[in-house]
Amino acid sequence: MNIQPFSKTYDGVRVLSFPGLDLEPGKIYAVIGANGSGKSTFAKILAGVLPADRKGRIRDDAAVGYLPQKHYAFRMSTRRNLLLSTNEEARAAELMDALQIRHLEKKRADRLSGGETARMALARLMMKRYDTVILDEPTAAMDMETTAAAEKLILDYTRQTGCTLILVTHSLQQARRIADEVLFFHKGVLKETGTKEQVLFHPSQPETRQFLDFYGR
Amino acid sequence: MGSALQKALALILSADAELLNILSVTARMSLQSSLIALLLGVPLGIWLGACRFPGRGALVVVNRTLMGMPPVVCGLLFYMLFSGVGPFRHMKLLFTVQIMVMAQVVLITPIVVGNMETYVAGIAPAVRETAKGLGLGGIKTFALLCNECVYPIISAYLLAFARSIAEVGAVSMVGGAISWKTNVMTTAIMQYTNRGNFSLGIALGMILLAVSLFVNIVISLVQRRLSR
Ligand SMILES: Nc1ncnc2c1ncn2[C@@H]1O[C@H](COP(=O)(O)OP(=O)(O)O)[C@@H](O)[C@H]1O
Ligand SMILES: [Mg+2]
Repeated sequence: MNIQPFSKTYDGVRVLSFPGLDLEPGKIYAVIGANGSGKSTFAKILAGVLPADRKGRIRDDAAVGYLPQKHYAFRMSTRRNLLLSTNEEARAAELMDALQIRHLEKKRADRLSGGETARMALARLMMKRYDTVILDEPTAAMDMETTAAAEKLILDYTRQTGCTLILVTHSLQQARRIADEVLFFHKGVLKETGTKEQVLFHPSQPETRQFLDFYGR
Repeated sequence: MGSALQKALALILSADAELLNILSVTARMSLQSSLIALLLGVPLGIWLGACRFPGRGALVVVNRTLMGMPPVVCGLLFYMLFSGVGPFRHMKLLFTVQIMVMAQVVLITPIVVGNMETYVAGIAPAVRETAKGLGLGGIKTFALLCNECVYPIISAYLLAFARSIAEVGAVSMVGGAISWKTNVMTTAIMQYTNRGNFSLGIALGMILLAVSLFVNIVISLVQRRLSR
């Protein structure tokens, strides 16, 4: 997928400027950076739910799946939430098993706990094949065990569908575990990008080094 | 005082004919006006809450103003339009239940609109993002949004009904509180109190309070569901 350069300004303040990038299919791109560095804004603009400053296309017309940072559970059962985009019951069962929410399939999704909602939301998105999948901190509300299950699912999905996966994460460990490439945002600017080894282990920018030092290499 | 209360209870228990007529006129008026307000207010409120367009903010402010409109002002407006000097005098609607319903629709539709707008504006961005993220189309997204609104609709309806049944300023002006025709609970209470006949007033007051209690219990149950 090809991303054109774009920027985003709120009330006269530029919160994001992006120089453009080519993304390879089948790869996992981790988007890292401090709170407020523009990660979610980047995800929203790519997903097409937020307009950039410049009108016109930002990326090619691919089928994009997007999981917002705030998960919304529709007022219906967990199972019916999963079946919103496609009717494949078998796939829904498989996903609920993988994320250990099978026992909640008949429960109203808007009454799930935070971690359960996060699992439901990830499963709901993985129901369908997309060319590009954007996940905004999908495991932030999950415990370690479910995070491991979610990461395995994300890896399997990417391998099976060959999609490009953009994973916004606050966890460097997560980026280390499953990313191929890393995008580091600092104060709304893409400071550094490259393979996981380059960015996380041999950073070239002082801001990246500072960030990594602070969060523990 | 005590004997008035006894008489009031006796009136209720004996199903006094005038009392029953007042109750039936009240029910007819309030059910009609609250249902019409619901049919008009729900689509309008969802539209205002979900769509972003120039002038939306102004419409919300206008609606808030209408929500606070004093009933007598609404009554005055309808009185002028339909009385002997008004443009609609030939319709001969003054002092009928129909015009009471019309005046009440103007009073309570904004309540439905305002409640729906507030709720929908709160959830619409998340619903839209989530649905778009799943690749769902516009019609399915709208259906999902409406499905999220079931409890807010019930609660908005009950609020409108409660306001309608307790309202006195507009209905007394345009209805005229004519016995056996346009007299409703609130206007009858005023009328009988003025005449010093407290027992019918007390009987009506007790019924009105009981209805209001019931409606508000249901509202609080619905809202407890809403707040999850
Ligand atoms: N709707 C908005 N209005 C104004 N400022 C916003 C809005 N959304 C985000 N911002 C600002 O944009 C910056 C980037 O936010 P965000 O992309 O959510 O950061 P991150 O996801 O990396 O924590 C922050 O400074 C935030 O305050
Ligand atoms: Mg964020």
